[in-house]
Amino acid sequence: MTLKEKLKKLIVETLHLEDITPEEIEDGEMLFGERLGLDSIDAVEIVFQVEHHFGVGIKNMKEGRPALQSINTLAAFIEARL
Amino acid sequence: MKINFRHRHSAHCESGVSSNLLFHYGVDISEAMAFGIGGGIFFGYLPFLKVNKLPITTFRCEVGGIFKRLTKKLEVGVYWEKFRNPKKAMDALDHCLEEGIPVACRTGGYWLPYFPSAFRFHFNMHNLVVYGKEGDEYLISDPVFQEPVKCDKKYLLKARFAKGALAPKGTMYYLTSVPEKIDFAPAIIKGIKEACRRMLKTPVPIIGVKGIRFLANRIEKWPKKLGKRKAILHLVQLIRMQEELGTGGGGFRFMYAAFLQEAAGILKENRLLDLSGKMTSAGDRWREFAVIGSRNCKNRATESDSFEAMADILRDCANREAEVYQELMEVIN
Repeated sequence: MTLKEKLKKLIVETLHLEDITPEEIEDGEMLFGERLGLDSIDAVEIVFQVEHHFGVGIKNMKEGRPALQSINTLAAFIEARL
Repeated sequence: MKINFRHRHSAHCESGVSSNLLFHYGVDISEAMAFGIGGGIFFGYLPFLKVNKLPITTFRCEVGGIFKRLTKKLEVGVYWEKFRNPKKAMDALDHCLEEGIPVACRTGGYWLPYFPSAFRFHFNMHNLVVYGKEGDEYLISDPVFQEPVKCDKKYLLKARFAKGALAPKGTMYYLTSVPEKIDFAPAIIKGIKEACRRMLKTPVPIIGVKGIRFLANRIEKWPKKLGKRKAILHLVQLIRMQEELGTGGGGFRFMYAAFLQEAAGILKENRLLDLSGKMTSAGDRWREFAVIGSRNCKNRATESDSFEAMADILRDCANREAEVYQELMEVIN
C-alpha cells in the first residue's frame, strides 16, 4: 500500500466517514472542501493520527494548514520528514 | 501603491504581526521571541464572556497584550487608533499607506474572503498587516497564511467593523519609532517574570494554572449539568478556541517552548533548555486533550475518551505547567 493509500484509509477509518471509501478520495481534492465535509475539529484527529502512525509531528497550524490541503500535500509533508 | 514589506508566515496572528512589523524596521526577531517577551502565554476560562452564547477559553493573553508589552519593553514607539466611522477608518488606513507605513488592523476573520470556509467562524480578534493597495484591493500580509493575500475594500471594511463580542471597531496600529540598538536580555527576563506571575499568582480561580484546574472540574460535570448536547457544544467551542485560535493543540505551549530555547542562548542559561523541553511535554498533553475532545464533538469517542479522562489530562497539564513556571521563577531570579 502506498503512503497516499494509507492516508486515505486512515482518514476514512479514524474519522468514521460513512459515505465515502478510501478509493473514492482523489489525491488532489481539498480535504476540507464540501465533498468530504471535514472541518477544523477533524484536523485535530488527522494531525494526531499522522504523528501516531508515521512519527511526523505537525506542531502548529503554520505547518498544518498547507500540509492538510489534500492527500498530495499531506503525503509530501510526511515524505519530506521521514 | 505597494510598500516593500516582507511577509513571514507565522503560527499566530498577533505575535506574527508584531515580529513582522519589527522586522520591517530592521529588528530581527522571531515570532516565538515576540510571543515570549510580550508575555503571551496564558490561560483563562471566562464563563461570563461569550461567543455564540458559549464561554470563551483563552490560551494566550488578552488581545493586543503581546504587541503592547513587546513594544513597551523594546522601547518601540507605537500609534493606536480606534474609529466609530468606517469611512474615516479606511481613509486613515489609505493615508498611512500613502506615507509608506505598513499598518496592522484588528479584524473579524469571518469576513475575510481568503479564509477557507471550513476555517471561517465569527472571531473578532484577528490581526493582519496592510501593506499596499491596488485599485479597490488591499495587499495584506496575514501572518497565518503562507503567502500574502488580497482583500477587496468592502470585505476589509466589514472585517474591521465586525459586530459582536470584542468588536474590533476599526482598530489600527503601526510603529512610529524603533531604537537603533535593542538589548533583548532584560526584555526576556521581564517577559518571563510577568508570564509566571500571571500563570501562578493571579488571585482569581479561572486564570492561570488555577484556571486550568477549574476548567478540569467543570468539564467533568458538563454531561450531568448541561446534558449531552450542550456539553458537546461547550466542548466544540473549547476545542475550536484551542485549535484555531490557539494555533493547534498545544500551539502556544510549543511556541513558548521555542521562546525558552531561544532565550537560553541569549541569556546563556542552559536550565532554560530543560524547561523548554518540559513546556513541549505540556503542549503534547494539551494536544491529547484536544484529540479526545474532537472525538466527543464528532461522536466517535470510545469509552476511554470520557469527560473524566479529559479532566484528568487537564489536571496533568496544570501540574506540568505549574512546575515549569515555578522553576522559571527560580532561574530568572
